[in-house]
Amino acid sequence: MRKALVVLMLLAVVAIFAAEKYVWFDENTPYLGSDATGKYGGRIVVAALGGPRTMNYTVAKETSSTDVIALFMGYGGTLVELDNYARLHPCIAKRCEVELTDEGKMIITFWLREGIKWSDGQPFTADDFVFTVNDVYCNPDIPSSTQDVIKDSQGRLPRAEKIDDYTVRVIYEEPNRLAVRYIGGLYIWPKHIAEQWVKDGTFREKWTVEAINNKELVGLGPFIPVEYVPDQYIRAVRNPYYWKKDANGNQLPYLDEFVFKILPDLNAIKLAFENGEIDIYGVTAQFYPEIKAKAKEKNWIVGTGGPTYGTTFITFNWNHDDPVKRSWFRNEYFRKAVAYAMDKEAMIDTLLAGLGIAQWGPVSVLSPFYNEDALRKYPYDLDYARMMLQLGGFSWDKDGNLIDADGNKVEFILSTNAGNIVREGMCNIIREELGKLGIKVTFVPLDFNLLVNKMLNTTDWEAIVIGLTGSDEPQGGRNVWAQKGTLHFWNYHPEAAPGGQIKPEIYEAPDWELEIDRIFAENIKILDQKKVYEMFSRFQELVSEHLPLIYTVQQLYLYAHKADLNIIDPNAFGGMLWTLPWIYWKK
Amino acid sequence: MLKYIARRLIIAIPELLIISFMVFMIMEAAPGDFLDQYKLDPSMSKETLEAMRKELGLDQHPLVRYFKWLSGAVRGNFGYSFYYRRPVSKLIWERVAATLTLSLTSLAGSWILGVALGTFAALKKYSLADKILTVFAFSFIAVPSFFLGLLLLYLAARTGWFPIGGMISIDHNTMTTWQRFKDLLWHMTLPATALTLGSMAGLMRYMRGSLLDVLNEDYVTFARAKGMPERIVVFKHAMRNAINPMITFLGFSISGILGGSLFIENIFAWPGMGRLIYQALIQKDLYLVITSGLISAVLLVVGNLVADILLALVDPRVRLT
Repeated sequence: MRKALVVLMLLAVVAIFAAEKYVWFDENTPYLGSDATGKYGGRIVVAALGGPRTMNYTVAKETSSTDVIALFMGYGGTLVELDNYARLHPCIAKRCEVELTDEGKMIITFWLREGIKWSDGQPFTADDFVFTVNDVYCNPDIPSSTQDVIKDSQGRLPRAEKIDDYTVRVIYEEPNRLAVRYIGGLYIWPKHIAEQWVKDGTFREKWTVEAINNKELVGLGPFIPVEYVPDQYIRAVRNPYYWKKDANGNQLPYLDEFVFKILPDLNAIKLAFENGEIDIYGVTAQFYPEIKAKAKEKNWIVGTGGPTYGTTFITFNWNHDDPVKRSWFRNEYFRKAVAYAMDKEAMIDTLLAGLGIAQWGPVSVLSPFYNEDALRKYPYDLDYARMMLQLGGFSWDKDGNLIDADGNKVEFILSTNAGNIVREGMCNIIREELGKLGIKVTFVPLDFNLLVNKMLNTTDWEAIVIGLTGSDEPQGGRNVWAQKGTLHFWNYHPEAAPGGQIKPEIYEAPDWELEIDRIFAENIKILDQKKVYEMFSRFQELVSEHLPLIYTVQQLYLYAHKADLNIIDPNAFGGMLWTLPWIYWKK
Repeated sequence: MLKYIARRLIIAIPELLIISFMVFMIMEAAPGDFLDQYKLDPSMSKETLEAMRKELGLDQHPLVRYFKWLSGAVRGNFGYSFYYRRPVSKLIWERVAATLTLSLTSLAGSWILGVALGTFAALKKYSLADKILTVFAFSFIAVPSFFLGLLLLYLAARTGWFPIGGMISIDHNTMTTWQRFKDLLWHMTLPATALTLGSMAGLMRYMRGSLLDVLNEDYVTFARAKGMPERIVVFKHAMRNAINPMITFLGFSISGILGGSLFIENIFAWPGMGRLIYQALIQKDLYLVITSGLISAVLLVVGNLVADILLALVDPRVRLT
């Protein structure tokens, strides 16, 4: 009995120490693509809506650039990588350990694979990675949005240290749940080329698009862009030194070339796919039935891959200049009535050709933190909506108009960005349904720039239907949800409002907003996924209960590609190209 | 003559200044700026946006920015494009060749066909051929060129005879010279057709009307009565006078060479100035927009000057002083 107790105690001690040191993956975890068996040769042609602006990742802010940069810096060019369900895998790092020290610091150790070379044949070592972290992304003279991602909650940047040529440590001043993903996912710069640019202060001016035709680009990714004809195409060729090998020990990638063909709009892209000029096509809901119908005849594979990230919602201005309108928009029952009046079925059927799902909360369905049980749902029901309005102190005059407790007729202006057919359609449906509740909604579509400026810099707006990009990781929405977030537009904190437009005397923050603020500030320091899951469940519960944003519907990820192209499990996170190094033509 | 040209060019300077300032002010007055497209991105922090604003000089007073641009422009530096982060002049220069290839082809095509068919229609007034040409012309005048472009694009998609867009194939650079020429021609057929048909129809009607006016003049009747051969009456005397209003028209056409094919370039993914300007306008890429505005203005001035000189050469009544 005593012996058993000692063993148990020993186990407990081991468990405590073990809890301080986490092995994220080790040499036995296979890298993505290691089980591939394909055939060499061929070219894939993919459409791009615009040409790249730059090949310098610290400057790039738009997908037209980052999609091209990923060819030579991503797809296996990072220490760790994610699959199409955002699960972490080893990549250039074969082992990763995270240690929490007694002083509260967090140390991430990466063991790197040996013998990896840059596309110019130079060896890749720990120096390249240390240079990348310390001198590029953490360099205050080289501002980039990457810094926002790798900072800790106090805004401090991490520091990298070389242990030997193939081992590096990254030190954080406090635990950071996302550090392995973000630090390990950094695009690595070749020290032998970029070090000089940092020294002479020209880093951000290097690797413009001209670097493509000058053959200056060097990377660890599978393809190197070598030819750019402005507004026509970008051609990338196989990196002869790419490190990944398939199941038979053959060097990847399989394809000889990757081409982005630049086509100006979605109609042209669709026509080019039908004409066989491009090989894959991210279908829009509008064209999906037509493309699907032709799939057999044209030898295409056409399908859906779960809901997309990103959200579309209606939000109200809680700090409107008019105290009457302000009181409606702050009234939770009013917002609940709007939620019950939202005919999501009609939106999916008429605006998304049936290819969508209703959205109820701020976390994407694809995210590991999505918790359906935490969400409060508001099925379309005008009787419930009327009940909510009564609970909120509203009533109807003899003509059926909704009036508030002081007898003011409830009417407001609803806007969205003109030209976005889906959002305009949503506004029309909302206007019609609210009309049935006696609310007069005037729909005014506005130019995108005007809309964004009104919403962010002024108090001169009432209700807006707009969208935000999303991700698998809710923390990515911190700028939206933190009390002083720069995108906390429905209820800006007076200190954080971009135009300084909020008068402190009218500002109010309900308790649940403060609780959400705490969730976003604290979850990042917690390494235990289960606890984080609980915190984000509470966040989803609070948002769906109090409705600062009333969500609408979400389109499914739609795709089409030539059937003889070996594309694996496309979805909104991975797209069609997440397996790019081992994509091949079956013929 | 040289004195006249010099004077016209000097007068053009304040004109161009005013035009560039107006374009600048219109861009300023329009709501929002280049950075708006990033403002709704949750991953973009306030600090990053501020740093970008500073880097692009958008934190300065509009007038300061205008005069900075102007002082650079007189020295040949037209500023940087916000979007491409490259000098505006370089961007424009890269696309000038593409635009010239397309617009000069269609300019030549529409003028040769327009003048020839217009003359033919005038000479065969009220004949069946004239009526057919009239119907043909009115249909193309009525259909906007972008719509015609879309129709041609669908034709290409349905038949697969022509590429959907672009100016060259992906393998263009590995081809022989003859293959490259054919490749270019193949890509150019549809956009050039769309551009040519629209303007040709107008020119044809214009030429027909102008020639008919002249053919009704007394001196034409007199020349015929004198027994002058019809060929000489028409081509030596009447044509020379009928062409005058066309030359003024040509002046305007020159100003449209670089920007006139905006819609067609967009529809056919033609990598020219039109597409560049269109994107710049949407993105609020300020310096690119002002510079292209300025170029259009310069072309307008030059086009008018060329038209005036040509007129003086053709019409002995016009004297340049």
